[in-house]
Amino acid sequence: MKAPRFSRKTLCIPYAVFLLFFVIAPMLVILVYAFTDRNMHFSFGNFIDFFSDPSKLSTIAYSVVIALITTVACLVIAFPVAYILARSKMKKKFVIVLLFVLPMWINFVLRINAIRELFNWIGLLGQANYFNTVFGMVYDFLPFMILPLYTTMLKIDDSLYEACSDLGGSWFTSFTRITLPLSKPGLLSGVTMVFLPSMTNYVVSDMLGNSKVTIIGKFIYEYFESDWHMGSMVALILLIVVFVSTLLSGGLKSEENVRGANL
Amino acid sequence: MKKRSCILLAALFLLPSLLPILSGCADDTVELRVYSWEEYIDEGGEGALIYDELHLTDEETGEAVSSDLIGDDYKAWYEDATGTPLSEEGPAILEDFELWYAKTYPDRPRVKVKYSTFGTNEDMYNKIMLGKEYDLLCPSDYMIMKLAAEGRLTPYDEDFFLTEGEGSEYNYYAKNVSPYIDGVFESGKVTISDKDESSEHSWREYAAGYMWGTTGFVYNPVYVDRAELEELGWNAFTHKDYRNKITAKDNVRDTYFAALGVTYQEELKAIEGDNAKLTEIFNRTEEKYIPDVRAKLLEMKGNIYGFETDTGKTDLASGKIWLNYAWSGDAVYVMSLAEEENNAELDYYVPEAGSNLWFDGWVMTKSVEKRNTKHAAQAFVNFLSMPENAMRNSYYIGYTSAIGGEKMFDYASYLYADDEAEDPVEYDLKYFFGEDLDAVLTADRADTLHGQLFAQYPSLSTIDRCAVMNYFDAETSKRINELWAQVKAEKLDAWAITVLAVAAAVIVLGAVFAKFGHKIDFFRRKPKKGYTLVDQKDPIRL
Repeated sequence: MKAPRFSRKTLCIPYAVFLLFFVIAPMLVILVYAFTDRNMHFSFGNFIDFFSDPSKLSTIAYSVVIALITTVACLVIAFPVAYILARSKMKKKFVIVLLFVLPMWINFVLRINAIRELFNWIGLLGQANYFNTVFGMVYDFLPFMILPLYTTMLKIDDSLYEACSDLGGSWFTSFTRITLPLSKPGLLSGVTMVFLPSMTNYVVSDMLGNSKVTIIGKFIYEYFESDWHMGSMVALILLIVVFVSTLLSGGLKSEENVRGANL
Repeated sequence: MKKRSCILLAALFLLPSLLPILSGCADDTVELRVYSWEEYIDEGGEGALIYDELHLTDEETGEAVSSDLIGDDYKAWYEDATGTPLSEEGPAILEDFELWYAKTYPDRPRVKVKYSTFGTNEDMYNKIMLGKEYDLLCPSDYMIMKLAAEGRLTPYDEDFFLTEGEGSEYNYYAKNVSPYIDGVFESGKVTISDKDESSEHSWREYAAGYMWGTTGFVYNPVYVDRAELEELGWNAFTHKDYRNKITAKDNVRDTYFAALGVTYQEELKAIEGDNAKLTEIFNRTEEKYIPDVRAKLLEMKGNIYGFETDTGKTDLASGKIWLNYAWSGDAVYVMSLAEEENNAELDYYVPEAGSNLWFDGWVMTKSVEKRNTKHAAQAFVNFLSMPENAMRNSYYIGYTSAIGGEKMFDYASYLYADDEAEDPVEYDLKYFFGEDLDAVLTADRADTLHGQLFAQYPSLSTIDRCAVMNYFDAETSKRINELWAQVKAEKLDAWAITVLAVAAAVIVLGAVFAKFGHKIDFFRRKPKKGYTLVDQKDPIRL
């Protein structure tokens, strides 16, 4: 008797079912709610409302700005760290990498609460809501920037640097010609992993900004308390923003996919 | 031997999972589905009235002391009601109800309570809209009105309200509910439109009171001068002295109510004894009022420490803030917490201009008739309304029960009466416990003015100036939510949005160009003279 053979197609079924029920179906539900009114009749009302209300447009613009600042701050901190760690000859550097990753193993709400107490102790809480929010985001998302950068930089062949200096290239040349272009995939995935969640992570803005800083994630949450249709519309628009920015950063290119594999 | 014990163990583990199936099959059990707030019923054990009272110790000697409240009388009552002796570990009220029901109505099928909880009224409403079926709900005032107006509720039987005569034997709610609460429920009206005709009904037909209270400020008297606060009233939200030291609620209804107080304080103060007029002002949601209220809300947002849902209590206790706009039940909780843990005093203040009267009540959905659980649902409400149980719930939750009467007054006296107070006053609570009772407490003056007693049972003069906020219909809800979004949103000027939009467009176009630009001949670099362009992807063809 022949053993039953599983073709790739049959092995795909569980994933297909999962995708259907937990990804595609919910998105369709959001789509339906976004383009219907209270009586479930088709309507563009929510769409028009969204783009004619300055408060919604400013909130989404603000979220983008906060996410941008967070991303840049993460990049400024993470790039040198990743570079130094990847290029240095020191032993046991995994310990340092571990130290950067370690906070991720502790419950996120707990960490944000701890920062809240810390800020209160310094006297910043309630005084500088925007700074606190961005600080919290950077603190929370930093590992997501460091890890992909570090892993791509680690893969850069040393001989490239040797060749560069043999041919008289300065440190600057080797950085711009070797490090930067070759770490681009890590850079892109790091940026994607920081930029996108920091537009919606309203736990940070609520806790550290005393709910006075409103980002788009909180907006969606509040709409879902009273009006699912408008909430779905905001969620849909956010989805489009996210999709476009992922497309732009090349996050959909399969060959360059190096998302922090050793998280 | 080993094998056998393994099987035994397995059977033991399996047993609980089989039980529901078994009992589900039996005809003589009905399931009562109750949907209520989190931590809103006595769950027994430590922290519950019975456990705490039975484990009292003398502060000095550390020896066990017998309780006045849960004495032999109570134990006898409990054993009589449930058919089981009172456990020292403190029973949970849901199990007590099941026992009591089986004993009281031996001819009826047994009741099994399936108790689930929600976090906000809106969560509950959404759950129901998604088709979840519950028999008994415990929403707040405005949600009761909304559910009733939408025709989702079943009225209580007329027999439920009988206080004497045949069939009134177990009507504990009708017999014990505070006359004040009953009056509020009777005068509150809701219009129910049913297809072609609409009729007016009182809340009393659909709802039985459970917990109630006011809203006000819990404040730290070390930093806040009472006289100044009284002078300011609602304006505390916008006053510079309390800049960054006061919090508002992070939900639209409570903060909108407060903003109405701030906006119309002078008008409110001018009213004398006309509750209908106060109620009108606290329900101003029409378009014409929005600009004024919006301006005040923005002013409040600029002055307050933040919007909070839960952090206010701890922030007040730890001294981060001085004033916390709160529900009276939460006020009592944080005041007793401060007293017990830090030995610090916190006070409660209700603006003289008027404030919010809120309540949570039990309502039955349409499914009680379909599932034949109406009798059990009404019995459940009656059971919770027995004073012996009302005090247990009130103690566990920390909120004020809607149940009045002599035994509840004794319980209030037990908690708050103080004959040896430095400055004793007579605190008249007849309005709540009943005019025919001698419901006058002798308590410390401070406690009756701004202490836990006042937060738990406000004075008649305070409560006369409190108004219920109606539910928002679909149109109003949209208007108020838009306002709330505008207040919460970040204000960006038109030019800032334009700049950001242009920047985004440039980035998008730039990226598209970088990706596809080389495919368009026009943008291709022209080869030098004498050279031909080579397709790099296919160099071999050369």
